[in-house]
Amino acid sequence: MQFWALIVDSFRESVDRKIFWVLVGLTLLITLVMLSVGFAGEEVTLFFGMWSTETDRFNPLSDIGRANLVGFVVYLLASTMMGWIGVTLMIIATAGAFPAFSERGALDVVLAKPINRARLFLYKYFATMVFVVLQGTLFFVLTFLVMWLRWGVWAPGYLLSIVFLVLLFSYLYCVSVLVAVKTQSAVAAILLTLFAWVLFALIHQAPSVFETFPDLKKRRTVYVAVRVASWIPPKTGDFPYLAARWSQAGTSIDALPYFDMDTATELERTQIERARQVEEQELAKNQFYSIGSSLLFEIVVVLLAMWTFARKDY
Amino acid sequence: MVGITEMTNWAVDLIDVRKIYGKTIHALRGVNIQVGRGEIFGLLGPNGAGKTTLVKIMMTVVRPTHALGTLLGRPLGHRGKLAGTGYLPEDHRFPGYLTGAQLLDYYAALGKVPRSRRKVNAAKLLDRVGMSEWATTRIDKYSKGMLQRLGIAQALMNDPELMVLDEPTDGLDPVGRRDVRELLLELKSAGKTVFLNSHLLSELEMVCDRVAILVDGLVARQGTLDELTEETVEYRIAFSGDARAIQEKVEALGASLGANVITVSGHDTGKVNAMIDLLRAADLSVESVQPHRFSLEDILVQVLADQSATPVARPVHP
Ligand SMILES: Nc1ncnc2c1ncn2[C@@H]1O[C@H](COP(=O)(O)OP(=O)(O)OP(=O)(O)O)[C@@H](O)[C@H]1O
Ligand SMILES: [Mg+2]
Repeated sequence: MQFWALIVDSFRESVDRKIFWVLVGLTLLITLVMLSVGFAGEEVTLFFGMWSTETDRFNPLSDIGRANLVGFVVYLLASTMMGWIGVTLMIIATAGAFPAFSERGALDVVLAKPINRARLFLYKYFATMVFVVLQGTLFFVLTFLVMWLRWGVWAPGYLLSIVFLVLLFSYLYCVSVLVAVKTQSAVAAILLTLFAWVLFALIHQAPSVFETFPDLKKRRTVYVAVRVASWIPPKTGDFPYLAARWSQAGTSIDALPYFDMDTATELERTQIERARQVEEQELAKNQFYSIGSSLLFEIVVVLLAMWTFARKDY
Repeated sequence: MVGITEMTNWAVDLIDVRKIYGKTIHALRGVNIQVGRGEIFGLLGPNGAGKTTLVKIMMTVVRPTHALGTLLGRPLGHRGKLAGTGYLPEDHRFPGYLTGAQLLDYYAALGKVPRSRRKVNAAKLLDRVGMSEWATTRIDKYSKGMLQRLGIAQALMNDPELMVLDEPTDGLDPVGRRDVRELLLELKSAGKTVFLNSHLLSELEMVCDRVAILVDGLVARQGTLDELTEETVEYRIAFSGDARAIQEKVEALGASLGANVITVSGHDTGKVNAMIDLLRAADLSVESVQPHRFSLEDILVQVLADQSATPVARPVHP
């Protein structure tokens, strides 16, 4: 009952924010644009059929065509619009929730309720994610429906992206909450979270420097230290990979049959080789490691924030 | 160790409550306060005396540096017992995106009040504090007094055994204040216990059974209003005419002479008669003799004067 009360409260707080509706608008716009494009056999129509052309690369009836279509939606729309712009807006929108909740005078009544502080903190933490769950569900369900009903592409695994989006958000949100309970400032929470996001990406990319300059690997301690450090931060960059993997979206290797190796030009050959490398790197990723290590990071940060929250005077 | 029966005698029993904010601010320095069940108890004191801190410690909002005692028979800080309390904090800030009715429901749900009772109580209480018409208006449109009324309704949603109110009449107009006083007396007659902080001393006098005066983190006085005002009674003898001739004699007997009034402090009727004799002997006519009880305000001023005359040594470290 107490958790439900906090969820309902978070829902009301969410819909009271302008950014919530900006995101809803963005999702509707994307849905509309997707609706305006049609794929039927080899025919592609734009602007609700006003303009049409033919290509075999996006034929929803062929395996490769559907994979390409889903890949287009996952990589271009979902990961750019939701994974980048969406998550940034959501961080901004939710950063004020904890400072407002734990403001002196606002928290007094709540703390005087029969609920301990640790539990109250966790309930509120999860309740705030209602915002993201709603946005994610709206976006992925609508785009899923367009793919299915308008394009004839059935990709139920695509709906799992809702979970991956919430996970991605939560890896960053824990940082936001920690900053918020330490500083009581929404602005500090936003700035430091965005900074942490960039930092995570950099740390995650660091080991690839050794691949580019293999000589550096001779410095054993530095190399090991960098590799170990790259395990710690949450894997925020894996969202498109996880979403694509589960939606069975087209990947680079799927494009291979388009090239006839015998007649391929030199340029095409290098392109194919690059595609193969990227593909191998992606496949080498382990989703359990990605999610598990990220959640471990999140748990530690949440416990730290909870401890701070529980020991303060209000 | 206190026995179980003894523990349950008091609604609130605070023993040696101390609070140091940071390392240097000694907000409470060993407070002992007892509140009987079914009583209206008033806590008064100047700004910064530690009243709000004490209330927050009772409601577990602030963690005490040291505290013993019980609340509704369970050790201070016991979470379960908070279900039986209602709390109106000072300077509360309610989420502006909720309506009055939504706020009552939200807080009561956190207080584990079942849904059916929440509905009934919300309607009843909004009506009781005169806010029915505003039930579906967003809180960020409320005036200060309306917020205060909502705050009082919120504290009553779980039919509490013990109400803890920090400045309940803050921001209310005279009618609102009278309403609050009536409400408190109603609660009392229903057997509830009320603990309140207030600056408005005259208000405390009207409703409180017992009061404590908190100064600088210590209880300076505590008792029923009668007990507190007992030793602080004085008689005022009004007369007409020029009394300069008897001034020395009056002061020699320990009374003081003002413009057409002689003041005798304490319960000393013998002295009062002696004064009347003096006046009559000097051919002055006595107009009236009135016993005068000190008000809480007088007592507070007196306590504060005593304190500043004999400054308490402030320990820097406990
Ligand atoms: N969160 C806090 N951090 C540090 N010091 C505090 C805090 N809250 C209160 N204090 C200090 O504790 C002392 C007592 O404050 P408190 O608010 O309890 O007084 P009060 O009696 O309620 O005053 P008022 O009548 O103005 O409401 C003050 O010196 C105040 O500065
Ligand atoms: Mg106060």
